Amino acid sequence: MDINEIVVISGKGGTGKTTLVASLVPFLENPVIADCDVDAPDLNILFGETIQESKDFVGLKRAVINEDLCTKCGLCRQKCKFNAISEDIKVNFSKCEGCSVCEYVCPVGAIEMKDCVVGQVFNSETEYGPMVHARLIPGEETSGKLVSEVRKSAKALAEKTEKETIIIDGSPGIACNVIASITGVKKTVIVIEPTFSGLHDLEKVHRLVQNFSIDIMIVINKCDLSEDGLSAIENYCKEQDLEIALKIPFNKDIVKSISERKIPSIENMEFFEEIGFEKFVEWIKK
Amino acid sequence: MKIAVLSGKGGTGKTTVATNMAFNFKGAVLVDADVEEPNSHIFIKPKATGEKSVYKNFPVVDMDRCNLCGDCGRFCKYNAILPAKNKVLVFKEICHDCGGCEIVCKRNAISYEKREIGKIHSGKGLGGINFIYGDLNVGEVSGVKIISELREIVSNDEVVIIDSPPGTSCASVESVEGVDYAIVVSEPTPFGVSDMKMVVEMLENMKIPFGVVVNKAGLGNDEIYDYCLGKNIEILENIPFSEEIAKLYAVGEMMCLENSKYSHYFENIIGKIIKTVK
Amino acid sequence: MIIGICAKETGLNSPVADRFGRAEYYVLFDTETKEARTIENTAKNSASGAGGRAVRILDENGVVVALAPELGPKAMDAIKAFEIRAYSYGKSKTVKEALENYEAGKLKEFKTNSTESHHGLRRV
Repeated sequence: MDINEIVVISGKGGTGKTTLVASLVPFLENPVIADCDVDAPDLNILFGETIQESKDFVGLKRAVINEDLCTKCGLCRQKCKFNAISEDIKVNFSKCEGCSVCEYVCPVGAIEMKDCVVGQVFNSETEYGPMVHARLIPGEETSGKLVSEVRKSAKALAEKTEKETIIIDGSPGIACNVIASITGVKKTVIVIEPTFSGLHDLEKVHRLVQNFSIDIMIVINKCDLSEDGLSAIENYCKEQDLEIALKIPFNKDIVKSISERKIPSIENMEFFEEIGFEKFVEWIKK
Repeated sequence: MKIAVLSGKGGTGKTTVATNMAFNFKGAVLVDADVEEPNSHIFIKPKATGEKSVYKNFPVVDMDRCNLCGDCGRFCKYNAILPAKNKVLVFKEICHDCGGCEIVCKRNAISYEKREIGKIHSGKGLGGINFIYGDLNVGEVSGVKIISELREIVSNDEVVIIDSPPGTSCASVESVEGVDYAIVVSEPTPFGVSDMKMVVEMLENMKIPFGVVVNKAGLGNDEIYDYCLGKNIEILENIPFSEEIAKLYAVGEMMCLENSKYSHYFENIIGKIIKTVK
Repeated sequence: MIIGICAKETGLNSPVADRFGRAEYYVLFDTETKEARTIENTAKNSASGAGGRAVRILDENGVVVALAPELGPKAMDAIKAFEIRAYSYGKSKTVKEALENYEAGKLKEFKTNSTESHHGLRRV
């Protein structure tokens, strides 16, 4: 089955990615929703999910020192390149990268690498369809692994329930969590604001995405914020042959909808119609 | 005194707060530690005085000594070194530079070379602000090393304001390590509150005193105030949502530089922090 | 000789996997005894470098020909370094079908990596 996977990313956060994804969901037929923003998942706030299953996610192994065997010789601390072992020979979990050098050099075998739960993956049911989201434990490394797990679960769910569309709220940034959000998708939407910061971020994320997706569309949110900002973005898109699919003017009612935990495109249908949302949805569904 | 500026989600106004605070705090050094997406330089417009590369090491195998025993490949937790039939493959980008392969090699066949993962730029900017920022190369796995070097560079400075990466990833943890106070910038919307809670948890775990700045106040609801009240979290300031402020941000202008009427917000924040830290 | 095929499940009737380094299983088919056995792909949970590690696993199991959906750059380097011949199973749906297509000479050999790092699929 050829599943239509669409991802919405933004480079930097706060541009309206989640708001856009939430606005698209009611217009898609039988979607599976995947929230890949594992640092700060927000879609569940709007969709009021019922969690049906939660699974611990093991990210990496970390060093655990057996106090009974440890002689405090300090060799592990000396060899650790990440400064993860303190003066009193205790492992600082957030610094440990799981390389296992300490385990190898410990002369008395007091160190063992143990599996670490770094987050949870949740399968839930929403009004619009099944949703998969995850939450990373604060301080953990945002590798692509947890994001890949969300993608994998969403794909498996879609195949099992014969759903044709997976809409992905991508990770912000430009690191491997973003890459894991976009691999194998059919369409990529980049949401940005018409600011100089936004242009700077668009350049970076575009460079990253170029190799992974042919079908890229730009959405400019709060487009009436700044004429200069808007021109800067439009010029860049023209130079790079990027199509601008949607320009959304700033609208306080959208924030109001979110605050009331309602879907913006449903609460403000007229506004969305005026900006050409229907055509955008058509492209998404293609 | 080292102050970090954080946020749970992006786009709440971290850079706005950090840059304008630096503008109002004479002698402060501003560090942009959001190395994946640094933005402060757009507002500070520094005259470049320094640039240095940040490196990570990767293993190089001397094939005259190597006997393809495979020990290094079996040891490496990242699959960055892979002895094959006639040579040893090294995948530099995934090497974490742990030094393990050299330690396990019984033939002394491994040494290290460096490669650039990003740069650190420094300079003096508008308002006489001393400014330093890191920039991670696109495609690199982690900016933690750059942030660590940034912290090292400013470790002896009197007053340091750190614009941290959003969220609670290891990069954020690295940037707030050892600070005296953290400002959490949030917006009064359900997303803002939800994401803020994770940063609060992280700061509580790290035992760092913190307060909240509500940005774009008036655009949303009161959930954030209820939450802060319930947890006894100090609200340092409310910066109201205003189209004027938004437009200045859009074109890369620091609001206090444009109009000193905004300075009182930041002077207030600074005053409260100084009181708390002393 | 032993042929390794990327699979979603176990056995010859299993559907083929979408990915090489993170396939769930590898079905190992011995062309002389005509027997097949399945091994779990322990590389699939690696944080990084799954492709390279997967090649090592295949080599350790005596595989000299691999049938795969695609090969990222690291996997390609490893395939060459371990002197394994890799072929794309194209539109084959099951392990059995992929083997049949290989034997009929219908499969194309991977000469360079077919996808970019992280398996970005170029859609043309």
